[in-house]
Order: sequence, then C-alpha cells, then structure tokens
Amino acid sequence: MLDSLPYELPELVTRAPLDTHRSTVLPEWVDWNGHMNVAFYVSAFDQASGAFMRNMGLGRRYVDGKLGMTFVLETHVTYDREMKGGAPMRFTTQLLACDAKRVHLFHEMYHAEQGYLAATNEAIVMNIDYATRRSAPWPAPVAWRLEAIWETHKTLTRPAKAGRVMGLARR
Amino acid sequence: MQSAPYPIIDLDLSAPLDRHRAEVKPEWIDWNGHMNVGFYVVAFDQATDTLCQQFGCGFEYTRDKIGMTFVLEAHVTYDREVKQGDPLRITTQILDHDAKRLHFFHAMYHATEGYLAATNELMLMNIDYASRRAAPWPDFAMTRIEKLVAAHAALARPRQAGRLIGIRKK
Repeated sequence: MLDSLPYELPELVTRAPLDTHRSTVLPEWVDWNGHMNVAFYVSAFDQASGAFMRNMGLGRRYVDGKLGMTFVLETHVTYDREMKGGAPMRFTTQLLACDAKRVHLFHEMYHAEQGYLAATNEAIVMNIDYATRRSAPWPAPVAWRLEAIWETHKTLTRPAKAGRVMGLARR
Repeated sequence: MQSAPYPIIDLDLSAPLDRHRAEVKPEWIDWNGHMNVGFYVVAFDQATDTLCQQFGCGFEYTRDKIGMTFVLEAHVTYDREVKQGDPLRITTQILDHDAKRLHFFHAMYHATEGYLAATNELMLMNIDYASRRAAPWPDFAMTRIEKLVAAHAALARPRQAGRLIGIRKK
C-alpha cells in the first residue's frame, strides 16, 4: 500500500450523495435514433465515477505519476428516459459499499433543467497497481478519505434501482 | 406488419450467433492504455445491430421510419483488458423474449488469443417510430425471433447472466 501521494489532494466533499458532477450530451454521442446512444451513457457515467475518484484523491495525476489506476469490474445501467444532443446532465453518486480495494457506486443521471431521471448506473471500481497492473489496496490517504465519505453515505437509503437482476417479469 | 419493405438477410440459426467481428479503434483507448469502459458498450451495441439485422430490425427499420429498438437495461462484466488494434469476436445468445422485448447476452472474445474480454446482458424493447412508445415486434421480426429462440433454447445459461452487483465480503 502507498503511504502517501506526491500531489496535493482536493478539498474533501463528504456531502451525501456526492452531487458535484455536471456534463452535456455531446453531438457525437447521438445515434440514428436521435438520442444519446446507450454506450455514451456509460461514458458519461464513467466521468461521474472519475469525479468520485478525484474526491477520493485519485485521478489523472494518480495515473500520470505511474502510481496506480482504477478499473471498472462491472456495471449495470437502467435506461429510464431519452436524452437529446446538447442536453445538460446532473449526476448524483452514492457510495453503497467499499473495502480495501474496491468501491461500489450508484450514480443517477438527471436532465439538469427538466429534472427527470434519465438513467442509473451501478458500478464496482477497483484500485490497480500501476507496475503490476493487478489489484492493490487503496493508498493510505485515499483509504482515510474513503472512510470519511462512507460515514456520511452509509446512512442514505439504498436506491430502489440498485441490485437489480435482469429478466422479463411475467404479467 | 406482415413483411418488411426491404430485403432481410438469411437467418443464421447457429447457436450462439457468432457473426460479429470488430477491431479496437485508437479512439476507444483511454489514459489507462486500454479500451475504455464506454467503448466496450459501443462494441457490444454494434453486435446488437448484428443481432437485430437477423430479424429485420437493423438500420433499415429506422431509416424507413417503421420502428426503433431501445435498450432498457444493460449489465457489463469487464473480464480482461483489450488494447488498440485487438481483433474482437462477439457471440450472442438469446435468453428470453416476449411480444415487445428481447433479453440476450453477448460474450466478447479476443479473436486470436481466445480469452473472454467482457460480457453484456441486455434488455431490448421494440419502439414504434411514430409514437416513440413500446410496441409489439412486427410479424416479420417475431417469426424470425421465434426461430432464433428455438435454436438457442438448448444452450446452457451463461454463468454471468442474471448477476447482482455487489462486493462480496471475504
């Protein structure tokens, strides 16, 4: 485990859920159905995961400094409503669980002006050692920050769309 | 709608469907030096198009303003990295269907090294073009979907299908 990180960490946000990430649907994300393509919802959510990671003390400098990386192991998306090109997005992120190497995140994407829920994304993200490219415990300052984040997130209600198993419900 | 106003390719009843091939493009690579999580889904979505062409609901279906297919839900497991230029082979197994929906499972392999790179379970819904709302599959599609379902019925259920996300405490 890394004992320290060689860069200044941003001010920690422990507000729960985290609601700092904003984005816009890019024109190249729109498909022949005239709406944001399924894959780019995942790209947009990946950027929201990036915002959560930066708050933990990870991000571009973590990778560029050849210290480590974070890999997504698994993701589950519900597509709740269409988003068109140029639509503004607002994200909230709830930490559902964490351990020495992993976080279990739940993102919600909202249309930032009309307020509706557009999609949700549940994701497992793992810390990776840069040199070995294998899983490794969070660096010590990250583990400490994660603990502080967990303290405020653990009291949130579990989202209804978390933990879904896909299937055709027979009516 | 009894028949499609455009030709539909011959039905491929090999199970699983094993037609889709792709290559990891340079713009799909992120700062970790591998295919980014979003572009796995781009690659899988193109394999979904390959599947939809089997029952006449590919690009022409939307071009001719008959209908569209919308993904309702998706689950991805990222099993191993793929790098720029890697050849991909994606197989597709239909798990279930009803009047409006199709539940299926893609497996992405490194086409020459053979390892499993990722899986993608999907729920797809047929959409009427004009109303942009859910609608039953057109007859020409349903006839073909039922043949595909019959051909895939004997396949074992993939172990990654029906997964619940979570951190297992050791």
